[in-house]
This record gives sequence, C-alpha cells and structure tokens, in this order.
Amino acid sequence: MGLPKEMRPAPPRKLERLIGLFIPPACREEVLGDLHERYTGLVRYLADALCAVPLVIVSRIRRTTDAQVLLMEAFVLALSLSGAARYKDTTFLTKQWELLRLVIPAATALLGLMLDDAYARPGGRWLLKAVRAPLFGLGMACLSQAVLSVGNPELTLPRWILWCGGGLGLLLASTVRLLFPPLAGRAQGAHGPAFWLQQAAEPMQISANAIRAVKGVATITVLALAVLAVYEICKRV
Amino acid sequence: MVKPDSLGQFEQLVLTAILTLRDDAYGVTIHARVGELVRPKAVSLGAVYVTLDRVEDKGLVASWLSDPTPERGGRAKRCYRLEALGERALQESAVTAKRIWDSIAEVWGKEWAKEWGKRWGKEAG
Repeated sequence: MGLPKEMRPAPPRKLERLIGLFIPPACREEVLGDLHERYTGLVRYLADALCAVPLVIVSRIRRTTDAQVLLMEAFVLALSLSGAARYKDTTFLTKQWELLRLVIPAATALLGLMLDDAYARPGGRWLLKAVRAPLFGLGMACLSQAVLSVGNPELTLPRWILWCGGGLGLLLASTVRLLFPPLAGRAQGAHGPAFWLQQAAEPMQISANAIRAVKGVATITVLALAVLAVYEICKRV
Repeated sequence: MVKPDSLGQFEQLVLTAILTLRDDAYGVTIHARVGELVRPKAVSLGAVYVTLDRVEDKGLVASWLSDPTPERGGRAKRCYRLEALGERALQESAVTAKRIWDSIAEVWGKEWAKEWGKRWGKEAG
C-alpha cells in the first residue's frame, strides 16, 4: 500500500482480462479489484482466483435464479420437447432411454437460462433480454447434442424434434420471462441489494402491443398443444 | 418491527468484521478480519463473498461502490455497512453466545473459564 504505483506488484493485464471473463459482470469490478489488491505473486493470485471465482458464480446464480420461474421454464421446455416427440413418433416415449434423450437438452437449456441470468449486464433492452436467455439456452441444448453425437449418438434427439421442440420451448420460455421478469430485473424493497435497486431504476423499454402479441401467440400455442394432448389421449382410450 | 433471522456462525463472523471495520469494510479487509477471528483456521475469499451476498439479500447489510483506487488497478471497492436489522441480529447472537459461555462456565467451573480466558488472551496477543 505504501509503495509508489510503479513499484507495486500487479497481475498481468491479460491474465486479469481472462479471469474477468469468468466473473459475472455485476460483481466483476469489485472482485477483480480485490484480487488485484491481494496480489503478491502469480501463484497466490491464481490460487485466490480459483478459490473465489467459482463461489462468486454460484452466489450470483443463487441471487438471480427464481425457483418458481425456473420450474415454469422447465415445464414448458419439457412440454415442448415431449410434444414434438409425440407428434413425430407416437411410440417415442415408450422406448427405453427415450425420456433421458428428452431430459438432456431440456436440462442443458435450463442451465443456459440460469447462466444467462447470472451473467446479464445491468440495463439494456428488456424485450431483447427476455428472448436472449432462451436463445442462449437453446444454443446450449444444441451444443450438448453436438457433444453427445460424438461420444454417445444413441442419446441424441432426432434433429426434427430438437428444432421443433426447441423452437416452441424458446417461444414459451420467452413468454414466461415476459410475464415473470427475472429477479435481477424486478423492483426490490428498501433492503434490496444496491445492484438490483440500480437495475430497478432502468426504464422498461417494451410496448404494450409487443407484450400483447407475444401473449397471444403463446396462448394459441398452449391451446394447440392442449388440443393435441387431448386428441392423443382420446385416440389411446 | 421486523424480527431478524438467526445468524449462522460464518454470518456472525462476517457481520462482526463489518461492525469493527466501520468505514473500511470491503472484500479484502473483511476477509482479513474474519481470518483473524477464526484463527488458526483459514478462510477462503470466495466464502466471504458468498456470505456477504447472503446477508445483503437478508437486508442485514447495505453495499455501495466506492471510487476507483490505483492500488486496485483503477477499480472500485464494494463497501459494506451494517443495517439496523443486521445490528439487531448481531446483538441477539452476542447475547446467545454469552449465555452459552455462562452456562458452560457454571458446569465446568470458574477455573476452566479463567484458563480459557488466559489461553485466548495469549492467542490474541
């Protein structure tokens, strides 16, 4: 602390930038600053970063994840994928391991949604945020399928089911997000964390017509799915 | 009046550190003070961040970003201060800890209490 600026040891800029990429933007400034202040050598810096960064990410996920919204998103993703699977092949869900094939992309999409919330930047357009997270989730689901296709192709979903189910899931998950904004985007009480209060002051840049249009499309889709489900049940009975 | 949640042991340590550091309570200093309090055990910086987030969500502490400083590579600090709810929760924890100490001393005797008092005094010195 007492040393002049040019004599004070400092971590390499590139390493700081690299570690900064892993830290959620909402807490990047203070965490990188703390790591910089504690810097005495490269090994200690890396050890500090390895100990702190994973816990910072977990804590950020805990703060930004709303369990109820996540459950709704899990439900619409499962509904979309299983709906697409049933539409394409009525015997799909009766075979062994078929349920696991549906669960893997749904689970990775949910992980993508959680990570996107955790790494969301303060401010920005609300409508874009509502669509971006499900898009990122869908991207993660596609990535998991690409990875599985190399090692375990029998666990991957047919492309048609993935694209149709994923597209439907994207639409429904976006609607859930529009109706129930993520925690980081909601107004908080007097005791709310400073970051959230700062975000709550951001103006919501979304028109009522856009919300109405998305709600309408989602309602029609849900009704179509419900009719399809009833039809399938009646056919079996 | 809002009744504060009971605190976990690590939360008590973090709140005590914030209380004693007053205006200088931020990640690095809180971690160092908690390290002094739990000596000889070691505490990770990440555990301190997680606990700070949790107590902030509970409304026990408030945080704000300070001005950037050169020793931090031109980055700001996130400073913390105890809220009224946090002070009450810490007071309750201190009273409970005192009751535990008194109850144990009553059973194991005054000599035991003196001996441990001396030991802690030496460690603190």
